[in-house]
Amino acid sequence: MASPVFRLTVRGVLARKFRVLLTAFAIILGVAFVSGAFMLTDSVKGAINGLFAELQGEVDLEVRSKIAFGDEATAQRDPVPDSLVAGIKSVPGVDTVEINILRQATIIKKNGKPLQTSGPSFGIAWYGTNGLDGRLVLEGREARAAGEVAIDKKSAERAGYVIGETVPIVGPNGSGEFTLVGLTGTKSTEGGGGASVSAFDPATANSFLGTNGLVDSLLIGLAEGVDQGDALAAVSAAISASPSGDAYEVITGDQSAKETAGAINDIIDIFGKVLLGFAAISLFVSAFLIFNTFAIIVSQRLRELALLRAIGADIRQIRMMILGESGIIGLLATALGIAGGVLVSKGITALFNATGAAFPSASTVISARTIAVSLFVGLGVTLVAAFVPAARAGRIPPVAAMRPEVGFSSLQRNKRLVLAGATLGIGVVLFVVGLFAQPGGTAGTLLGAAAGAILIFLGVASLSQSVAAPVSRIVSNLLPIPGRSMNRKTPGRIASRNAQRQPRRTASTASALMIGLALVSTIAVVAASVQASLRKALGTSITADFYVTNQGFQGLPSAFADKLAVLPELSAVSPFRATNAQVAGESKSIGAVDPSMGELVDADIQSGDFASIAEGAVLLHKDPARDLGVSVGDSIEMTWQNGKVSTLTVGAIYADSSIVGNWLVSLDTLTAASTAPPLDFFIGAKIAEGVDPDAARAAVERVAEEFPSAEVQDRVEFQKSQEDQLNQLLFIVYSLLVFAIAIAVLGIANTMALSVFERTREFGLLRAVGMTRRQLKRSVRWEAIIVSVFGATLGVVVGVPLGIAVSVALPETFVNTVQIPFGTIVTILVASIIVGIIAAIGPARRAAKLDILHAITTV
Amino acid sequence: MTTASPAATAGVAAASAINASKIYGKGDSEVRALDDVTVEFRAGQFTAIMGPSGSGKSTLMHCLAGLDSLTSGRAFIGDVDLSGLSERQLTHLRREQVGFVFQAFNLIPTLSARENIELPMDLGDTDPDSAWVDRVIDAVGLRDRLDHKPAELSGGQQQRVAVARALASKPKIIFADEPTGNLDSKSSSDVLGFMRRAVTEFGQTIVMVTHDPNAASYADRVIFLADGKVVDEISEPTAERVLDRMKRLA
Repeated sequence: MASPVFRLTVRGVLARKFRVLLTAFAIILGVAFVSGAFMLTDSVKGAINGLFAELQGEVDLEVRSKIAFGDEATAQRDPVPDSLVAGIKSVPGVDTVEINILRQATIIKKNGKPLQTSGPSFGIAWYGTNGLDGRLVLEGREARAAGEVAIDKKSAERAGYVIGETVPIVGPNGSGEFTLVGLTGTKSTEGGGGASVSAFDPATANSFLGTNGLVDSLLIGLAEGVDQGDALAAVSAAISASPSGDAYEVITGDQSAKETAGAINDIIDIFGKVLLGFAAISLFVSAFLIFNTFAIIVSQRLRELALLRAIGADIRQIRMMILGESGIIGLLATALGIAGGVLVSKGITALFNATGAAFPSASTVISARTIAVSLFVGLGVTLVAAFVPAARAGRIPPVAAMRPEVGFSSLQRNKRLVLAGATLGIGVVLFVVGLFAQPGGTAGTLLGAAAGAILIFLGVASLSQSVAAPVSRIVSNLLPIPGRSMNRKTPGRIASRNAQRQPRRTASTASALMIGLALVSTIAVVAASVQASLRKALGTSITADFYVTNQGFQGLPSAFADKLAVLPELSAVSPFRATNAQVAGESKSIGAVDPSMGELVDADIQSGDFASIAEGAVLLHKDPARDLGVSVGDSIEMTWQNGKVSTLTVGAIYADSSIVGNWLVSLDTLTAASTAPPLDFFIGAKIAEGVDPDAARAAVERVAEEFPSAEVQDRVEFQKSQEDQLNQLLFIVYSLLVFAIAIAVLGIANTMALSVFERTREFGLLRAVGMTRRQLKRSVRWEAIIVSVFGATLGVVVGVPLGIAVSVALPETFVNTVQIPFGTIVTILVASIIVGIIAAIGPARRAAKLDILHAITTV
Repeated sequence: MTTASPAATAGVAAASAINASKIYGKGDSEVRALDDVTVEFRAGQFTAIMGPSGSGKSTLMHCLAGLDSLTSGRAFIGDVDLSGLSERQLTHLRREQVGFVFQAFNLIPTLSARENIELPMDLGDTDPDSAWVDRVIDAVGLRDRLDHKPAELSGGQQQRVAVARALASKPKIIFADEPTGNLDSKSSSDVLGFMRRAVTEFGQTIVMVTHDPNAASYADRVIFLADGKVVDEISEPTAERVLDRMKRLA
């Protein structure tokens, strides 16, 4: 880059500091979310990995059951009998063998409510500070006898317990009361990394946590100087000699720590992805903002650029200048964005810690990758967005320096229409193919749909120039521009003419809002459809009278269903127990239920009989049945997590998977194949004939008292709580979109400000011939409203069909009915008008402040 | 690529047009801005082009300067036929051989006076002849304002900086389009006096479009255009003679 071009570039940026800041703001936000996402995940992962390395302590080897498929850390593993301990202890080199138990155990606070954590609630078998794991006694001592417990210091503080007090704890089989004898932690944290930890002595753990000798794994510490590899081979040999020894495997402690940390890293990555979603929307909308700003800056500087051309700047130099300006803005915004990313990362960590996550304190990790990605997106988006305005700047004919009316030689109308139409067409094809043909699985679907949506937006934004004039006219006619007398009507009329006169400006001002609104209405349609489908499913699929669910992440205590089943007030009780199995080489989520589940849900049986599940049949939804080409009476081979294979007969095919999922087997079928700890999602129950509902409820509640973390709901309450859960999820989605709209407001404010500036002379003239400041303000405001309504309408017109398409493409489990939320859409439209008024406040004030004389002498 | 013009072979023309026509629009709305104009501008002369609005004087200048193209006929800078040049070559020709002074908005607002003066050389990545630039700056009499931005200069000072910029790259010819159109009489005479000195002392060739008989009186020669044709010409003009001739044209 030649020096004068660079100098002109820098001066150009400095001369427009405010504009630059406004333009950069959206990029700053986008980069802040991108870099914040990476910093957060890097920092938390670093801390979590550190914590797990610490917790691993002195564990050299671990013995556990093998799994046939699935993720090592999260699979439902069969337990290991503690009878193996003696054999392992006799292996030379083995110093210590401990049993490892990690089950659900919820601490009950003094007010009788379960202690909420941002992670799971664990009960463990613990050998104290000198044990193999890295957990330490921080205060008091470890639990040594039945009726004693040590809990992590953070949870003790949050629940308000001190050493010596009695702590009620709910285990898988019921609750118990324990004397708090110690507070635990690790070298670097007083918490459990988001989980609450109740540490019992091994014998108590074995009974209270319901393992009864079938523990999760065995931990081995080796004597000093023993080679880990040799010991691993020796222990493996000893185990395979034992009965059903080939069901177990031996791994190193490091391997185990790595797997567990990996599973948690995956969860952290989800947070990162949500943030990246914010970033993507913010950057996409901001690309339009930058495009607009530069398009206007270029036309404002028409004479300056033409002058440069006249005195000898070549096309390339002009382009470099404009691109350079965008590059500087991009760089500045990226730098500020990375700073913002630190705030985002710290803020979210603080937020989680406030809810008790107790992330191990860690400094914010800013890796080279974070910087590189931030630069790439921040700078890249700015440069790409400025590319077209820069190319247009290069086309300014030098003669425009003397004859400004010459202006741009822009693309011919027909050529532009063809180009925009083609973009739109390709976008639609990509979108539809991505959603429905789904090439390349989920990734291909998302990629196709996203690329398609982007092209659709671009195409519509470009086409909107052609409809801006007529639509603005229609909008202005429809709008109730007030006033009977001409002096009140004129500003509105001038605003309307202005919006029609420069369709390009109107369209580009509206485009940012168009995209925001298109995204919002797409999501609104999908959300409404999901909600309607859920409501429908809850309304028709559920026939049970009571539902028991568990608060928090984990399943219900497994004893709950058994205790309910014996109540005479209830006629049918069934848990929905979740597990995984492989069918035709693919991992499937399987539900295991009691045969009485047939009375508790209406799965809309198409063929066969629900009762066949009692004879060991498998029931499946019509979609997988169609994919596998099976019908009632055929058999299906299922490989369970532990590798056992069952051949099951198809007993029934059903059409409603909203409650029970795609695959059902009986509890007996599951327990015959797998001894993994049960994971009950919910329990359904029906009141026995002739029993008073209140009496039945009282009976259920009595059982529930033992399990304070469980929640008993009747059908209405259950429906409401399910909808509330969905609404919570939708809240995240909506906040994402509010964010997109906020950027769009910024865009309208920016373009309105620029276009007021652009028309200084014109406004000066209007003022000179007698328009009052007030009238001028009104005129600018009306124009903003017309543009907003135009953009919003366009957005809704684009967004609603996209939303319908997405809803149709979603699996029936989520969406089986498409609903267009007219109320929401009208609200959005009204909001966009308000947005327009707000965005025009600043520019209108500025236009009104113009000095008449100065304005009309401005060339 | 370059064709020798008859004028160039005479060795005195800095720019010339031969049978130059420029037509805007088509059919009924056709406007013949230049109608078969043949004219040459001798090197080292200060020529004024006059004529009523719409006479084609600005069009002639734009076409001669390579800012606009002719519908038919040929335009030359020195012996270079502009119609044969690519966009890139035209840019380089303007950068190296042509200087411009416009009626207004002559200067890049973000650059100082000195930076504006040196801009054409900077754009071409050629080192300015600093002795020459110094001489020009002294002649324009704005040495103490060189670090000021255009907005901090008066209209007359801005136009003088523009003339200085045109001179600084030692172009073959300078085209000035109503350079005093926006100035009061005192500032006008400052600018015109400076242009006159540029021709007399530095041997610069200047072609100026103007409405103002007084401005034209600074020139060596005045040509008159009406309806796209050269209709008259006088040498050694005075304001009275120019005014007199214009009245007759009207």
